[in-house]
Amino acid sequence: MGAAPAPPAISTHALSKRYGETLALDNLDLLVHEGEVYGYLGPNGAGKTTTIRVLLGLHRPSSGGAELFGVNAWAEPVRAHRRVAYVAGEPFLWPSLTAGETLEFLARLHGGTDTAYRAALLERFELDTRKKVRALSKGNRQKVQLVAALATRADLLLLDEPTSGLDPLMEMAFRESVQEARGRGQTVFLSSHLLGEVEALCDRVGILRAGRLVDEGTLAQLRHLAAQTVEVAFAGPAPAIAPLPGVRVERAGPNALRFEVAGPIGPLIAALAQHPVATLTSREPSLEEIFLHHYDGSDRAGGRAPA
Amino acid sequence: MTAPAAVRLPEAAARRLALTRRALGDARVRTLAFAYLFAVYSYIQPIGYRHAYATIAARRAFARSFGDNQAIRLFYGQPHDLLTVGGYSAWRVGGTLAILSAVFGLLAAVRALRSEEESGRTELVLAGLVARRTAYLSALAAIGVGIALLWLGELAGFLIAGLPVGPSAYLALATASVAPVCAGVGAVASQLAPSRRIALELGGAVVGAFFVARVVADTSGGLGWLRWATPLGWAEQLRPFAGAQPAVLALPLAAAAALLCLGGALCSRRDVGTGVVAARERSEPRLWLLSSASAQALRSERTSLVVWTGSVAAFALILGVISRSVSGAGISKSLQRELEKLGSGSIATPTGYLAFVFVFFVLAASLFACGQVAAARHEEAEERLETLLALPLARTRWLGGRLLLAGAGVVAIAAAAGLFAWAGAASQGVSISLPRMLEAALNCLPVALLFLGIAALAYALLPRAGSALAYGLVAVAFLWQLVGSLLGAPAWLVALTPFAHIGAVPAQPFRGQPAAIMAAIGALAAVAALGAFRHRDLYGG
Repeated sequence: MGAAPAPPAISTHALSKRYGETLALDNLDLLVHEGEVYGYLGPNGAGKTTTIRVLLGLHRPSSGGAELFGVNAWAEPVRAHRRVAYVAGEPFLWPSLTAGETLEFLARLHGGTDTAYRAALLERFELDTRKKVRALSKGNRQKVQLVAALATRADLLLLDEPTSGLDPLMEMAFRESVQEARGRGQTVFLSSHLLGEVEALCDRVGILRAGRLVDEGTLAQLRHLAAQTVEVAFAGPAPAIAPLPGVRVERAGPNALRFEVAGPIGPLIAALAQHPVATLTSREPSLEEIFLHHYDGSDRAGGRAPA
Repeated sequence: MTAPAAVRLPEAAARRLALTRRALGDARVRTLAFAYLFAVYSYIQPIGYRHAYATIAARRAFARSFGDNQAIRLFYGQPHDLLTVGGYSAWRVGGTLAILSAVFGLLAAVRALRSEEESGRTELVLAGLVARRTAYLSALAAIGVGIALLWLGELAGFLIAGLPVGPSAYLALATASVAPVCAGVGAVASQLAPSRRIALELGGAVVGAFFVARVVADTSGGLGWLRWATPLGWAEQLRPFAGAQPAVLALPLAAAAALLCLGGALCSRRDVGTGVVAARERSEPRLWLLSSASAQALRSERTSLVVWTGSVAAFALILGVISRSVSGAGISKSLQRELEKLGSGSIATPTGYLAFVFVFFVLAASLFACGQVAAARHEEAEERLETLLALPLARTRWLGGRLLLAGAGVVAIAAAAGLFAWAGAASQGVSISLPRMLEAALNCLPVALLFLGIAALAYALLPRAGSALAYGLVAVAFLWQLVGSLLGAPAWLVALTPFAHIGAVPAQPFRGQPAAIMAAIGALAAVAALGAFRHRDLYGG
């Protein structure tokens, strides 16, 4: 008989959060294992920030529960936060402190900051620590938050759109830092609406819509479940293809058709065999297409937490 | 028949109007609260005077002893005529409301011209089709409407109290004349200072100097000319109800115009978001007071602490010096009773006078306590608190630390009042012991701590409205006793305000029991606040 398995880094059970009339989180079940880099995707107002606030115990769940490493952060915030570092979506810091003073202050409050790593991060993010926060641009304030959080080497990094305001070079520095964190076995919860970032960094992805997880899995799983795109050019005018289950067709040019295939591709190939096909290309859907698929032409209703 | 088409404003005028409306909307709570206060105060005083001094003989005795009392002049200014209701109102209402007008003008200007900018909204406006001049003038227009509302409020109070229209309008005008000048001070400070806070402090220092100049002019014989150097003195020199001198109005008009033009000129010459005097953007790391959230709170509140404690100390010193000139000569027993109705206590002796003025230090300490809770709320509104509370830092510990800091500030303010009032009195040979004055300082604490607890509870339960509620409660509680005793309200009704339970230390002994009860209620409210804060969501902006 082995010891009880370590609790997951993040778990929520039927978690709902209501602000007045707005249902911001709707029966959310989320599970992130230790060591995972989890991408949390959703458009503005889908409930990403609310999820993090409830996870941290800053907002109280209306029903259901949320735990960080098995600890309910609403009931025991201090114990839950010891293993966590957080980067808020908006970099509001103390205007009269310098960047360096802010880092020192946050380090003293958190405890366990790796100062050598912090120095390396400061260099990587090219941060001027003597500048007052009030004189820093939004991107630079965001970097202060990131350096403070990464330098704690906390077991779980909760990052709420951490790269908003960062330039492409700094975005690369950020990706490098997340890879390092993964290498050390840290868990990263990355809320984002930047698909490229999530595609590049994350082991698993959850797509949030109106407070519900509408899709979740590894990128490969998501691709498998989503429609595959097949583009076919014909030697002559595009023929009419009889309707097939799970296949959507649209015109892609005078002699070309585009098929969205959900499920096995065999019947389509069989149907095409009777026509003069010139070229046929098939590609897996990008994360962008998967994402848009879930939001395609539908309402984007969703509660925005009181800002 | 079709209705006539709506008059369409030229586009630029429409923009100006939209901006002015926006600025008025932002300031509506403060403006309406001030206007209401002006109306109530200017209604209460004439009614109370008629009630308390019904006969000319009583009025004459009152005028002789009360109006010549330098200690009283300090607060209400120089009286010109205390035998008529109008003359009394001009002195009693005009003097006090002129100070409030000054505060209103300064706050309104810094709010509209600086806070907006710090929030980044001004940038948004200026990026559109709005010139700086337009934005500046629109803000001024909104302030002007606010001042007009104060004038209307005061006028309405007088009219309902039965004073004649013309002189009342003139008196209200004299009071309100202070506001544009101080708005001008705020406008210039907003251009010079690198941040909102420094603009407020800079403007506050100038307005404080206006007040001190008026105090010195009204209380020391040879320096009466100083009255011409301060807008508060000009308001007195307008002499409403007592030989009006409307020509004096040229002074506040000219001063306000000059300051506002200077502000406008500076405004068009500086970068948006910084002052003419830029703040240092870089500094060597200073790591003191960063070891905990409470230490950092002290670090960020230190200026405010020093300003409050220093101002109270300076004022206490002046009052201590003046207390020597107080004497009971010429005050009859019956008049003494009447004076007590004015909420002034026994002011016929130096100790009685000090006991009376210490009520204002109780008020100051209570307002400081509310200000500290408002500063805590500010941390939450700006979402910095989210960053703090995502760390291993308990909510109760954070709020508890802020409340302890506020409590320590209250103690420092009270101690400064006691110590410096004693120093001032002792320097003039008034026989009063330091322990007695420290007892007077101690006497400031229960009410201030009570309001600290209440403000904390209001913040915990109603994060967005809590601050305004707490400030409002302090103001109502302070006026309650004054108003209640003036109108002859039953004792139990007057006793509802904490201010009614303060012993007149050092004239009378410290009243331990009510003090203990008030402090205990304050402590209970603070504990309840910690509990409630533990169980609610954090609310930004």
